[in-house]
Amino acid sequence: MTCPVLFERLVSMVTREDVENIALLSKLFVPEEELDGLTKSMQEIIDFADTINNAPSADDSFDNINNLSNVFREDEVIPSYSNEEILSNAPEQAEDHFLVRNRE
Amino acid sequence: MGTISKIHEMLTTKQCSCEELAKSYLDQIEKSNGELNAYVNVTADEALATAQTVDKKIASGETIGMLEGVPMTLKDNISTKGIETTCCSKILTGYKPIYNATVWDILSKENSVLLGKTNMDEFAMGSSCETSYFKGAMNPFNTNHVSGGSSGGVASAVGANIAAFGLGSDTGGSIRQPASFCGIVGLKPTYGAVSRYGLIAYASSLDQIGPITKSVEDAAIVFDAISKYDDKDSTSKGYSGTSTYETLNNDIKGMKIGIAKEYLDGIRDDVKEAVLAAAEVYRSLGAEIVYFDLPALKYALPVYYIIACAEASSNLGRYDGIRYGYKTEHYNGTHDMICRTRSEGFGDEVKRRILLGTYVLSAGYYDAYYKKAQNLRGTIVKAFDEAFEKCDVILAPTVPMTAFEKGRAVSDPIETYLTDICTVPVNIAGLPGVSVPCGFNAKGMPIGMQIIGKSFSEAQILNVAYKYQQAAGENFKDTKWGVKL
Amino acid sequence: MGCKAVNYELVAGFETHIELATKTKIFCGCTTQFGGEPNTHCCPVCIGLPGTLPKLNRQAVRYAIMAGLATHGEIAEISKMDRKNYCYPDLSKAYQISQLYAPLSIGGYVELSNGRKIRLHHIHIEEDAGKLIHQHGDTYVDYNRGGVPLIEIVSEPDIRSIDEAREYVEKLQQVMRYIGISDCKMQEGSMRCDVNISVRPVGSEKLGTRTEIKNMNSINNIAKAMEYEFERQVDLIESGGQVVQETLRYDDATNTTSSMRSKEDAHDYRYFRDPDLVTINVSKEEVEEIKSTLPELPTEKCNRYVEELSLPEKDAQLLTKYRNISEYFDKACVGVKSPKTVANFIIGQIFSRVETEADKEVFAVAVSPEQLNELVKLLDSGKIRNNLAKSTLEKMLDSGKGALEFLDESDMGGLDENTLNELCRQAVESNPKAVEDYKNGKEKAIKAIVGNVMKNSRGKADAALAESKIKELIG
Repeated sequence: MTCPVLFERLVSMVTREDVENIALLSKLFVPEEELDGLTKSMQEIIDFADTINNAPSADDSFDNINNLSNVFREDEVIPSYSNEEILSNAPEQAEDHFLVRNRE
Repeated sequence: MGTISKIHEMLTTKQCSCEELAKSYLDQIEKSNGELNAYVNVTADEALATAQTVDKKIASGETIGMLEGVPMTLKDNISTKGIETTCCSKILTGYKPIYNATVWDILSKENSVLLGKTNMDEFAMGSSCETSYFKGAMNPFNTNHVSGGSSGGVASAVGANIAAFGLGSDTGGSIRQPASFCGIVGLKPTYGAVSRYGLIAYASSLDQIGPITKSVEDAAIVFDAISKYDDKDSTSKGYSGTSTYETLNNDIKGMKIGIAKEYLDGIRDDVKEAVLAAAEVYRSLGAEIVYFDLPALKYALPVYYIIACAEASSNLGRYDGIRYGYKTEHYNGTHDMICRTRSEGFGDEVKRRILLGTYVLSAGYYDAYYKKAQNLRGTIVKAFDEAFEKCDVILAPTVPMTAFEKGRAVSDPIETYLTDICTVPVNIAGLPGVSVPCGFNAKGMPIGMQIIGKSFSEAQILNVAYKYQQAAGENFKDTKWGVKL
Repeated sequence: MGCKAVNYELVAGFETHIELATKTKIFCGCTTQFGGEPNTHCCPVCIGLPGTLPKLNRQAVRYAIMAGLATHGEIAEISKMDRKNYCYPDLSKAYQISQLYAPLSIGGYVELSNGRKIRLHHIHIEEDAGKLIHQHGDTYVDYNRGGVPLIEIVSEPDIRSIDEAREYVEKLQQVMRYIGISDCKMQEGSMRCDVNISVRPVGSEKLGTRTEIKNMNSINNIAKAMEYEFERQVDLIESGGQVVQETLRYDDATNTTSSMRSKEDAHDYRYFRDPDLVTINVSKEEVEEIKSTLPELPTEKCNRYVEELSLPEKDAQLLTKYRNISEYFDKACVGVKSPKTVANFIIGQIFSRVETEADKEVFAVAVSPEQLNELVKLLDSGKIRNNLAKSTLEKMLDSGKGALEFLDESDMGGLDENTLNELCRQAVESNPKAVEDYKNGKEKAIKAIVGNVMKNSRGKADAALAESKIKELIG
């Protein structure tokens, strides 16, 4: 068993580096000038989330609501959509493909 | 009151044509939407075309269904083929789905008349509708107050009689809370009762689509129509019970209505008094009121935010400017394009929740947050199971307060999160809950209470809600807006 | 390998992705056919349109269970789908639906011919990504392959040489093709390997730092890449450096490996249970039922051929390399006295007409196994002799017709003593030169005279008997 108090302290410190790292993972840019403010605000939310670590440890497993299992499709082909439909919302497309043009 | 049954009666007795009806709703939208900002996209052409189809059917003597020809609206996170569906986010501007959400498939086959898509908090993340890219929808009781969120637009439109009913989605209270703020009825069905296929996901294990209506009967009619098993949604079960409409008027004598003390903690006095007064109404109808503790509720809010944000961070990863929606103009390479698109396309609240979700799932934190929260989710499910051994349904406030003035929600995220305290437990446990108007505060703003039941006990909670509506009809009020029927 | 390499041991583990041969994708009804115009095997689900939901293909789960059973794994009673989150244009949802916390098959092994068992960690199911084409800095995206079902077979780091690596991949390929769950075509990408590789001094128990070489699409490339990487790591350590844990790409044009990741790809997949999919529950009965449908696997089959049919190991291997050949052999063997004779016909005359590996795998032979069986039985019963059987098989292979089409009653009666004596006498008389040579000590010359007897008897004569009679006649 992990000591709850120590554990809580360990996990609840949000650093600038943490925020930079999770922003990168989230594919979001955080401007330098917003980094401190965001770190502080993340810290507040994480402190709030941390209250669950005061809860007594219970072995209540949760699988899925309604405990469903074995919901399958049969292996039968359904006609696909046309290329035009598939690409109809693409911001950019060429030669029947979605396209990310190099804008360097 | 412009209820579904009233409209159905008018159409079948030919008091007006469906087209005239649709036009009067469209006229009222035109007049009031500037101030209410309930609709973000009005689909007048589609509405009139459907109305004409219904008129032809009526003219040829065919019988029409309860929802046929009824002017209604959908929250803008429900996919409508060929009709822009944005989640009120810049990142989905211009996106026209190439398929229908299952609920809209059902209702469009019933010839319900879609007036347009309604406003919401961006990606359903918010409690005031103010995180919408198109600015918030306002409260029909007082347009200086918010409509609530996230299904604020639907609630505002139904409250203002510029839609007879609407479908919203509820992840942590997003149907019940705005219904409560706008003085109408909102039903969050049992998880799995209504198909999620085509509902743009916020948090997949919590999201449910449900009706927002003027009356409890209407909620039952719409729920009966949309609660079908859907083989496109692996988590769908459908509602296997009998029609909830049929049993609305069942006697509730001897029924045990539970009140958990934790639901009354930190609740504003006017709200608490209204809910306790409603309990008295039930007592007078022969129900028994039982009080008990539900200590697990203490952790519901952080559990909700951890799970919802974790799932959201994953669900919202796909908005990358490649397949649909907004794409940034200037960039240097694919990675840069994706980051810029997302940074420009998402609003602050959405970004905050994505970052929180990423954080709680990331290496080193997963066990302490996500896994622990899942564990506590099990505890909360169990706590409700035990509570339902003591009572048949639970009565609670829907929101600790009435609709707040605009601009207040944005300033403090944590305080705003606290407004969800009474609504999130139901989502965590997958239970059904219906919010029903139960009074007004001193400023005339509506107060709502919710009735919570066991899984798939919609018939029972709607029955209990209906009995209250019959006994305390004065709390179901029309506003100055919209179509007068 | 250089001399210093002698002191180092290679340690490798494999992550092998195999596309399952289902008709449809893992979570939607789009076809899995290879090729097709770009973005035409797509629907809202597999291009990840907002609001769409996955629904698991029953057959994909069944195939994965078959793979687990065929590699001696234990099928988990409860398994679950997880999301592996990473954002890349070929991944339409920015997460891959996969399995981490509760995979479908646990453990198991692949046995090599040297008797070593390469242990498997687990096998899980997941979806394939789409395809990116990079051109002049532009990126074109095609999602036809996105959502095709895969299994990933994760081995323990038990492989100790490049030969073992080669055999491991070949064995997997063979087994998966046998049970019919994948065509395992590396050139078409239906089988792809990532190799984790490290080195350590011979005798050391401690694992060295590993690198991972991604997405290799031929066995030869795997061997070359491993050889290069082994030498690179050994050289690095020998020169006082340290191996850095990283992901590498192998370039077969230059035969080198290079680092794949840039700092943009911070790696943390944030796996969590996919809330859109429910638990997979496989009962013991279901496992038994699936087990009962599995064909005899190549290793067992090969052992049986050697032990029960007394075939040489080499023959048994050739006959079990592809399922179609072994099934052909099994059918042709029904009721015959000598399976070795059947083996000889197949490995000799039939293989000479089925030259490429691809053709051997299909093994579409003009002569049916039943027809070969009939021929061998004629031989067994002494009705025809070996030479006649051989020439008849050639005719059968040319025409696709049965043996009886080419043999009449007189061919199959055997030869009475008088006729044989007469034929021998004629042969001696008509070959004075050969007789002369034999008498002068050219032992081999008698073969020509015997050949004459065989020819005139249309192969019915017993060559050994004829030879002894000829020797008597010549005196």
